[in-house]
Amino acid sequence: MTVRKILDIPVNRVEGDLELRLEVADGVVVDAWSAGTMFRGFERLLVGRGALDGLVVTPRICGICSTTHLMTAAKALDDVVGVTVPDNGVRLRNLALMVEHIQSDVRHGILMFLVDFANPAYRDHPLYEEAVRRYAPLAGEAIIEAVRETKRIIEIIAVIGGQWPHSSFMVPGGLSYAPQVTELLQCRHVLGAYRAWYERRVLGCSIERWQAVDSLAALDAWLDEKASHRDSDIGFLLRFGRAAGLDRLGGGHGTFLSYGSLDLPGETAAQGSGGQLIAAGFARGPTVEALDPAAISEHVAASWYTASDGGLHPSEGKTEPYASGKEGHRYSWVKAARYLGGPAETGPLAERVVAGDPLFTDLLKRQGANALARELARLTRPATLLPTMAVWLNEVIASGARDVYVNPGPITDGSGVGMIQAARGALGHWIAIKNGRIDRYQIITPTGWNGSPRDSGGVRGPWEEALIGTPVADADNPVEVGHIIRSFDPCLVCSVHTVRKGRTIGRVRLEA
Amino acid sequence: MPRPARIICVGNRHHPDDDLGPRVHALLAGSKLPDGVELVDGGLCGLDLLRVVEGAGRAVFVDAVEGFAPPGEVVMLGREDVAALAEGPWGHDAGLPYLFHLLPQVCDGEMPDLMLIGAGCPAGAAVVAGIAARALEEAVRP
Repeated sequence: MTVRKILDIPVNRVEGDLELRLEVADGVVVDAWSAGTMFRGFERLLVGRGALDGLVVTPRICGICSTTHLMTAAKALDDVVGVTVPDNGVRLRNLALMVEHIQSDVRHGILMFLVDFANPAYRDHPLYEEAVRRYAPLAGEAIIEAVRETKRIIEIIAVIGGQWPHSSFMVPGGLSYAPQVTELLQCRHVLGAYRAWYERRVLGCSIERWQAVDSLAALDAWLDEKASHRDSDIGFLLRFGRAAGLDRLGGGHGTFLSYGSLDLPGETAAQGSGGQLIAAGFARGPTVEALDPAAISEHVAASWYTASDGGLHPSEGKTEPYASGKEGHRYSWVKAARYLGGPAETGPLAERVVAGDPLFTDLLKRQGANALARELARLTRPATLLPTMAVWLNEVIASGARDVYVNPGPITDGSGVGMIQAARGALGHWIAIKNGRIDRYQIITPTGWNGSPRDSGGVRGPWEEALIGTPVADADNPVEVGHIIRSFDPCLVCSVHTVRKGRTIGRVRLEA
Repeated sequence: MPRPARIICVGNRHHPDDDLGPRVHALLAGSKLPDGVELVDGGLCGLDLLRVVEGAGRAVFVDAVEGFAPPGEVVMLGREDVAALAEGPWGHDAGLPYLFHLLPQVCDGEMPDLMLIGAGCPAGAAVVAGIAARALEEAVRP
């Protein structure tokens, strides 16, 4: 007889405000519901404020992606007035965004994903002792090294933005601040040191060698080639991940979305696709189509918002909380973002599939999407960004770091959109301005795609679908579920960080 | 040259449950600070404040706290108190406990004295003013 039970899992390490409900039959997930339990409401907060206020408010949505939201807000305002940002403004904006990416990718990979290999669930695994030595929470040698090395890279944002944290240096038309060449020369040293560490520790080889890995067979050959490859974080991800079966977990719908990102300057040695370094597109399996921004919509059938038939394009969407009615049908504060009416996953793997990357296209054809491929794409994304970062930094320095801004004029009326790739995937800000004030602001975050609930047709969101068929060996420690969810790198709650008392500790009481 | 004391205010001014740090920052930013005291708007950052802490002789964090005392009551915690709250792996919701825990292992240069002054939110204006005064007092303490 089939044994069915419901598991409610507060995935508190993924996000304090994300909960999963799983239906498990004979130890395998047969249905899943992902609930965002916090109303964010930034869109409502912005309505009625000054046209430029999104530049200051939206970076507070996320403590990790603040530069990303700043960039998206600035691009939305660029679009409203139709301004063309000068080349050095484009380069410096891009560099700041890429710094956030290469820091986030490494921190997620090592501090949030690989750390699960030190989970006691694997205590009988032959690689467990090595995993603990490397990735034990707050103590593993790789954990400490990753924190130490990734702290320095944000100095580049501080130089470009003139301030850290919460730099608000991106404005419509470019940058509000032009860094000095002498400061940018210092950035070159910081960037070079980060690349050297990344190659030694994370890749175990040069970026050029990694870029030659263009198929599953080439990946196997790379792994066998040298001890430094096997001992790197990528090497360990592959060795342990394959042994734990992560290349067979977390398939999902098999649809992928990238808005495209990192506009190419008019004159540059960097090469991209469609005027961007990161290509835009939509893929069904390995088959890629051009992106149509009009095909994006948000459904709220299963979300706690006022109802609409089908889905609305974000330029027409609303964020009106509606927590009553249809109890049991609505279960999340996250809306269901959809493309061509269907779900799509976004993130580093989607970027690589849409770009036609030969390695990830081959992995997709042979293995389908899976948790290991997602994390491999994330942890190797810096290898795709670091060389171009050096190109753009050198181009800015060579041109004297001048001409970073053109005056866009007053912003009184109009509408626009900023669409980029955040570290976690597709991010869009849709804005409408009337009489110099924000009339409408809609934001779709990457987690709005990956962590979406069911849509108007009852179709599961990407990671809900990815969980189907997952074996759960221990309901009290569902490490398999954690691997899958974290391979999407969900982000729901990092706008609020209070210090919470988790257990009794001493304190000193003072009089206010 | 002595290392400065830094008052680092952390939180989200758009969330009433987490706006203590920004309100204290706003109050102190409008006043003359004692010599050797620097003020930092730490915003939403956690580990990314490592570079701000390094180089300081003392780092006085100001942030909202939960569960230590009734709202409005001032709480002061030492480095080990806060570090002890870091449990399990780092995540998007990781905050100051991880920074306090990891700092001795990743700090470049001499370790600063660390402390956290906070209160449960929402906090009234008198509490904000009291915490600002206390932060200054701790920053200049010999």
